[in-house]
Amino acid sequence: MPDRPDDRKYTKTHEWVLIDGGTATVGLTDFAVEHLGDLVFVQLPEVGREVSPGESVCEVESVKAVGDVYSPVAGEVVEVNEALSSDQSPLAQDPFGAGWLFKVRLGGDGATSTLLDAAGYAAALATEGQG
Amino acid sequence: MARRTALHPQHAAARARFVDFHGWEMPVQYRGILEETRTVRERGGLFDLCHMGRLVVEGPDREALVDHVFSAAFRNLKHGRAKYGFLLDERGYPIDDVLVYRDTERVHVVINATGRGKDLEWVQRRARALGADASVREVSDEQAMIALQGRISEHVLQPLCGADLSQVRYYGFTTAPVCGLETLLARTGYTGEDGFELFFPVAHAGRVWEALEDSGRSLGLEPIGLGARDLLRLEAGMPLYGQEVSPEIDPLEAGLDFGVDLSKQGTVGIAALAARARGGPARRALSLSAAGGRVPRPGYPVFLGERRVGVVTSGGMSPTIGRAIARVLVEREAAQAPRLDVEMRGQRFPMDVVPSPFYQRPRA
Repeated sequence: MPDRPDDRKYTKTHEWVLIDGGTATVGLTDFAVEHLGDLVFVQLPEVGREVSPGESVCEVESVKAVGDVYSPVAGEVVEVNEALSSDQSPLAQDPFGAGWLFKVRLGGDGATSTLLDAAGYAAALATEGQG
Repeated sequence: MARRTALHPQHAAARARFVDFHGWEMPVQYRGILEETRTVRERGGLFDLCHMGRLVVEGPDREALVDHVFSAAFRNLKHGRAKYGFLLDERGYPIDDVLVYRDTERVHVVINATGRGKDLEWVQRRARALGADASVREVSDEQAMIALQGRISEHVLQPLCGADLSQVRYYGFTTAPVCGLETLLARTGYTGEDGFELFFPVAHAGRVWEALEDSGRSLGLEPIGLGARDLLRLEAGMPLYGQEVSPEIDPLEAGLDFGVDLSKQGTVGIAALAARARGGPARRALSLSAAGGRVPRPGYPVFLGERRVGVVTSGGMSPTIGRAIARVLVEREAAQAPRLDVEMRGQRFPMDVVPSPFYQRPRA
């Protein structure tokens, strides 16, 4: 089983979210990226967009399929990883680091998706027979 | 519960990722779809096709029966040659697309995995209606089918084979020992590359697969999944039954005229197809391509200006030409446009109408 950073939370829909003060950085897990296979396109959200938990805000497309990325948190998109528009390899090679997707300034009532820690996410994958 | 082929252990050992393909648990990729596509274009690959269906037609009236159910010219096909065509229903729509191999004592028919059972029943029914003295058997489960594709194919197979492969021409076949086992070997395939398809008793599938892997290892041979197989055939302009051609899309609309002989008499569906063809097909199949970005996928709508004129039948990201590619089926009136828009997830992207196929191998 891969070592996933335990400084952040995970969702059952395979996003990770790293909360630092009032800002959340969101990305896709190694499992999601590995499952998509060869990546060819990332549709990033627009900066300034208000997002809510569970809302599809971003699309990651591979040779095989298109994957939706759901925001785990509520707030305003304040930054996106523009580099991924032209080169998706950071997402494939470093999904927990250089492959981050977008940042949200936390807002609303602080609602989030159901968040898991690294062990909880690993357990969820195992339950689905995917870990 | 999905079925597994006899080669499932070999795929699992190679750490394949599996997918359900019409009820079969098949390898979709081993190392990556793009890399596997390049491997076949540059060197060669091995494909497990045991899920595909196969019929054998025997008996005194076997050739009359095949001529009756097969859309393409068959009477003038030489023994030891294969031909592509369709099993048409009475309306001239395909029940399946097939490869027919005319052997001296029998006719072999390779059908799709989705045609198992269904095609056998159809041909048997037509045999009874015709009063043909012929037996039709499905041998899909007793016979293994493996494809070896790519420029290294002859070098990989020759050391294992008792026949001189240089004598087997494109779309020709012969029966010869492979790994000491009587094998039907055909110079056919679904990738646009040189290569062979092998048919032999399924009990030996693993042994033959591994012998081919061993023989090809130093030449860079790799196992190839269904993902790359789909891209390879799309690049080479080859149709997939259920997408380019189907019970709703006839072979002439799909641009597959070479699989139909409209002058044939007494072949099921030809008269209906010929009648419809008189005014020219109402829809046309085209090839589109565009610089990178989103991947066109089957079912995406196609627009000319604001008018919806058709649909994507197959699409993908071609590593060989480095562009997004698609086959589309559009209204005849839209077929002259130099460019069409494909709607991908709510957004329209222009794609150029380009000649088919996307890729043709350089011939020596």
